[in-house]
Amino acid sequence: MRETAARLETLAARLLTWGTRVALSFVLVGVVGMLLTGVDPISAPMPAYSLAAIPGDLLALRPEGFLWAGLTLVVALPLGRVIVSGAGFLAAGDRRLALVSVLVLLVIGVSVVAALGLGG
Amino acid sequence: MIAGIVLLAGGAAAGVFGSLLGLGGGILIVPLLTLGFGLPLREAVAVSLVSVIVTSSASAGVYLEKHTANLRLGMVLELFSASGALVGGLIAFLLSEQVLAGLFAALLIWVAVSMVRRTEPAPATDAPAAADPLADASAAPTFTDSLAGPGYRVHALPLGMGGSVVAGLVSALLGVGGGIVKVPTMHLLMGVPLKVATATSNMMIGITATSSAVIYLLRGQIDPYIAGPTALGVFVGAMAGTRIAHRIDTRILRWLFVVVLLYTAVQMGQKALGL
Repeated sequence: MRETAARLETLAARLLTWGTRVALSFVLVGVVGMLLTGVDPISAPMPAYSLAAIPGDLLALRPEGFLWAGLTLVVALPLGRVIVSGAGFLAAGDRRLALVSVLVLLVIGVSVVAALGLGG
Repeated sequence: MIAGIVLLAGGAAAGVFGSLLGLGGGILIVPLLTLGFGLPLREAVAVSLVSVIVTSSASAGVYLEKHTANLRLGMVLELFSASGALVGGLIAFLLSEQVLAGLFAALLIWVAVSMVRRTEPAPATDAPAAADPLADASAAPTFTDSLAGPGYRVHALPLGMGGSVVAGLVSALLGVGGGIVKVPTMHLLMGVPLKVATATSNMMIGITATSSAVIYLLRGQIDPYIAGPTALGVFVGAMAGTRIAHRIDTRILRWLFVVVLLYTAVQMGQKALGL
């Protein structure tokens, strides 16, 4: 079990490290695009968030597409870490920690439902 | 264009100071955006939460790779911090900007006082026979025992759970990581060594902030044009801060920072009172 747990921590660590790099690369491209196109972050109207619109915005090289892709990845990364850890705990036969992981994801799920339900 | 560069630079400054002084960037980003750029407090909190997740993910990656963070303990406590953040994220939309500003001013004063009084607490002395967190957890007699780490045992788990709920509430309402509650809770109440408590808190911050960041994101409170440069700046600043930390005398910096915090608290207090 020790080896499994160590591998799990290393896997979670790499997910966070590489995920952050990828996310910030998207953000960097978005920021550069924003500066080059002369978008004033304070006065420009806030682009609406739509997960479905991100691929189209990326293909059209719109700065907001890169920004939203990066920021979405940023918010999703800790969830990825919990999923990886939960799966690892389950594989290692630690059902209590696997259950804790599921409960954490459930809390995030409630956050999503609450945000949407309250008029998103 | 200038505003974008100023946001990048402001984020970087918050990242450097936060990293040098052991604070998350949130405590500086929210005042920077509200007092410096006139952003509504709720939007500033939302942007700050994104920056907090970035720095948490980056540093948690390092701590997990080095096995400094206690993953098992962190996952148990983050269930409670995430729950607190969920509630806080919803309450934040019910509170007025003035109330939030008042709460933030109180937080700033608390942090300033903590920095003045800060001493390195002695490590827990009741270390039992070294328990390895990576060893067979199923062999531990109780669930709490299964959360132990090398050379320390975890105490007062219910208190830790309560402290984590409070940390989540503070994080979601004020856009900070909540480490200011989590680290003392783990270290002073639960007997976790300071280094492990700091690393574990850092890891937990990601999920804590995500619980409420999701609410802010889906309710249209995160402006990517502001969050992008700020988060990028904070990340770069935090990385730079860790590299220069050993070359800087943080005692003088800490006192300077206390003055800045108190000045900002006054500004936030005036905002709360509508002055």
